[in-house]
Amino acid sequence: MGGKTQKTEAAPDPWDIGFGAALFVFALVALFIWFPNDIRGGFVETDHAGKIEPGDAFFPVLLACAILALSATHVLKVLLLQRHTGEDGAHAGLSRDDLMFLVLFNLVVVCGLAAMYWLGPLAVSIANAISGNELTYRQMVDTFPYKYIGYGVGGFIMTASLIAWAEAGLRWQAIVAVMSVIAVSIVVFDILLINVQLPPNADY
Amino acid sequence: MELALEYITRGVLEVFFTADGQFDWLPLAMVFGGLLLGIAIGATPGLNGPFAMALSLPVLISIFGHSDEALLPILGFLIGIMKGATIGGAVPAILFNTPGTPDAFLTTLDGYPMAKKGLGIKALKIAHFSSVSGDTFSDMVLFISAPVLAVMIERVLDLPEKSALIILSLSFMAAVAGKSPTKGMIIGLLGMLLALVGTTLSGNGPRMTFGIAALGNGLPLTSAILGVLVLSEVLVGIEEMTRARRKKITTLIRLPKGDTNFGWSDVRQLLPTIFRSAAIGTAIGALPGIGTTLAATLGYDAARRVSKHPEKFGTGIPEGVAATEAANSSVSGANLIPVMSLGIPGNFAAVFLILAVESVGNFTLGPSVFRFNEIKEIEGYGTIINKDLVVAFSIFTLMVLANLFNWTAGGWFMRTLGILSRVPKSIMLPAVLLITLTAVYAQDGGFVAIWVVVVFGAIGFVLRKLEISILPFVIGFLLAPRLEELIRGGYSASGSDPFFLVKSPIALLFLALAVFILVFAGRRSADIRT
Repeated sequence: MGGKTQKTEAAPDPWDIGFGAALFVFALVALFIWFPNDIRGGFVETDHAGKIEPGDAFFPVLLACAILALSATHVLKVLLLQRHTGEDGAHAGLSRDDLMFLVLFNLVVVCGLAAMYWLGPLAVSIANAISGNELTYRQMVDTFPYKYIGYGVGGFIMTASLIAWAEAGLRWQAIVAVMSVIAVSIVVFDILLINVQLPPNADY
Repeated sequence: MELALEYITRGVLEVFFTADGQFDWLPLAMVFGGLLLGIAIGATPGLNGPFAMALSLPVLISIFGHSDEALLPILGFLIGIMKGATIGGAVPAILFNTPGTPDAFLTTLDGYPMAKKGLGIKALKIAHFSSVSGDTFSDMVLFISAPVLAVMIERVLDLPEKSALIILSLSFMAAVAGKSPTKGMIIGLLGMLLALVGTTLSGNGPRMTFGIAALGNGLPLTSAILGVLVLSEVLVGIEEMTRARRKKITTLIRLPKGDTNFGWSDVRQLLPTIFRSAAIGTAIGALPGIGTTLAATLGYDAARRVSKHPEKFGTGIPEGVAATEAANSSVSGANLIPVMSLGIPGNFAAVFLILAVESVGNFTLGPSVFRFNEIKEIEGYGTIINKDLVVAFSIFTLMVLANLFNWTAGGWFMRTLGILSRVPKSIMLPAVLLITLTAVYAQDGGFVAIWVVVVFGAIGFVLRKLEISILPFVIGFLLAPRLEELIRGGYSASGSDPFFLVKSPIALLFLALAVFILVFAGRRSADIRT
């Protein structure tokens, strides 16, 4: 048994193997399932003059074959040649915490985007209920305040939540900063620029 | 020579005058505005030049549209940002010991000790002078070498050779930009494959869309690249903060005030160091994929080696600041050599210049630009001229203008920006996220663009966690349509010969070099790890 400071041979990096294996499987799926079902043209096609020309699948198949060959080489290289020192066992990779962070981050973003998408129409519905009108958000999409409600509230939810998460709390300076960013974005994208729309107004 | 001068003159005039002969202030104002924004962005920890270019591009396209006339104002602004950001990074490094970027870490080694001695303003002046000198030197090399290289390439290389050259460039970037060349190459090819979603060249309808109609026009290029580059950076930054829970990013101490003069005697003393570092940075920058960090490291190391007092480096000496800043700033101009001569971007700033060129007007970058076709006036038809070449010289003019503004107003402006170094990343990064999503939505007019940013952001986050460089992915994504055209064209022109790529000796040499680089660099990285 070697001492703690002695370098020992350890198993190859599982993330290295996983990366190569995942890309190998991806290339196989692309070649045998994805491309045949999702590319109408063939690998090569014969034109009216009888000349063979590359089809729509030509370049994607070449790329997928190259990924297949390189990922197989990578896995073999890791398994056969690459020896790691077992001193610290530190490998680059995705930890459970990283994945959890990614999921939570995207959850915050999706919540903000959902608020952005739905709050405008919801506000119109509430206004309809109060006034007895039968207006749609599409009709009100260029009318203040409806056109800013989704972007303002959704954008605030998204950015303020991320700041609160990063700082473990929400300071009033952060709230002012978020509101300023939203206000500047509204001025730039909705007032100064003529041919563009704020989210989600172009989708209605 | 006369013809070349004629093209250069037309390129310069195109920046200053409209088609009907009126003085055009817009490109100048855009360069100046971009430069100021770039300096401010560079001075803000957590932000950098490509970040600002990424966010500005959709806004600029929304303002100016896609016409030929929009190209110079948009490029002027982006070039201004690119150049401004290279000098702005020195501000937090010197005044607050906060390296916003890895290469700025080397500026802190002597910059911050100088500030602690009361020489902060002098250190900023040295950083500005060295940085702009390095940048100007590197631009001059670009102006001379890019056209020469392009003319040579255009004479020698045909479709198979150009295809092989792109593959060689990608393998080189994979080898130098990440820890594992094979993984870098695989990810570059994956980027290429994803770029093909929704495209077609045979008129058979969109391909690889998973049946999603919204992908029929292809993945929005800017959104995909913003996702991989900007959103993944935001993700990593916020993750770090949620773990560290540090509310204050810098420990501010009151710095003493001392000598602020930077005169001719200082210039004379620093010029050899600046010139040496500028040459190193330019050589490094001309190779695609190698960043400013290596240039700064080599520049600093070279200055220390030739110094009579190497032990003083790191204690706060002007040579340390000058060596680092001249080296990392001279990378930016030289990085455009592969862009202008080959159409291949070597870094993220170049990626956004290419994106702008591809999105606006009918201009293309690459070796074919530098064709000095004879200029002919034909009555009733107009002028027959290589418009692309005129635009290329206009781009060079914009770069010269940016340097002039940098020499004159840049130094003063950067010294006023210490306050920006105190903006916390915890507020900056979520704000950048919101602006990114708003900008891509405004440009592409729908939530598809936002979902593409989110998905590509996740891809970028995973790549960063696996310590795989995202540069080959982005470059692969960007170059895929061109490589497909070249390979299909080469295959057709060869009479459908499946071995067309290896039948040309030059293409074969390029491919052999690509394999050699991957194998050699792979062995080296394995040796380093064991």
